[in-house]
Amino acid sequence: MSLLGVCHWLQSTSWAVAIRESDLAFPFIEGTHILALSLSVGLVVVFDLRVLRLAFRDEPVSRIMKLLAPWSLAGFAIMLLTGGLLFMTQAEKAYGNTFFRAKFLLLLLAGINALVYQVKFYPNMTAWDTAPVAPAGARIIAVLSLLFWIGVIACGRTMAYEL
Amino acid sequence: MSWQYLVEWCYSSPLVSLLRDWKYGAPAVQSVHLSGLTVLLSTVVILNFRLLGIGMRGLSLPVLASQLWRWAAGAMLLTICSGVVIFVLDPTRYLASGPFRLKMALLSLAIVYHFTVFRRVTRSEPGGRWRNIGVAFFSLTLWFGVGWAARAIAFF
Repeated sequence: MSLLGVCHWLQSTSWAVAIRESDLAFPFIEGTHILALSLSVGLVVVFDLRVLRLAFRDEPVSRIMKLLAPWSLAGFAIMLLTGGLLFMTQAEKAYGNTFFRAKFLLLLLAGINALVYQVKFYPNMTAWDTAPVAPAGARIIAVLSLLFWIGVIACGRTMAYEL
Repeated sequence: MSWQYLVEWCYSSPLVSLLRDWKYGAPAVQSVHLSGLTVLLSTVVILNFRLLGIGMRGLSLPVLASQLWRWAAGAMLLTICSGVVIFVLDPTRYLASGPFRLKMALLSLAIVYHFTVFRRVTRSEPGGRWRNIGVAFFSLTLWFGVGWAARAIAFF
């Protein structure tokens, strides 16, 4: 089955139909998707600000990560769930939408970016935890992270105008 | 100069007209609005979770508050400015919307509360458990109420 075929099947499932036809389900899921940005992306932004020494300068980077990571992960779980449901309701239109595709690509880039941090900088974080300046690579990742996430938000908002 | 005159002037000003005529004008300003609110609500969430004692316990409330305050204020400024632009792009639509009026009422309360009660409480050492729960309850209800009212503008 082609990707478009999968999209067609998804949006004809009983769940997708029920959400589309309900007056309250769609606004509720979409509202949750947007407001959960404060847990998912927002907490990543705060962490990036620490790596760039724009907040929490006197606190070790690892302490800030420990503080934010569990809640951020919970936030991304909510995003994935609500985003998946929103996609299901109009999968075919989303599939063909340029901004949806751009959002997907930016999400992928943000994910790879975070993965690089986990592999290259997380294991030896204690070595530069309290250093005046984080390694150049970690700072570049933080800047990329901010750019990717702003892009994800912009593409997500814009695609909603076109569906 | 009356408010109506000011809104009409903004509405027909070259920059706002340019934004209105550009296909991606409204989405672009909305994206700035959402980015700002993401950061603002994030600081609200962090401080309230700490206040409730359910998270962010690695740092004290005054440290969290002092570090996050300027980011919250900056994000609030960004969100309000972009919000004003969104409003003048289509004032008649928003003035006629019930949820928009509710949003503005909640927003006014949220801002006043944030810079008075919330600021004072988060900058001091922890108080009684029930006081903290009460303070966090009002903060979360007001700010997320603003968010839900905003979503309602689009749907009702």
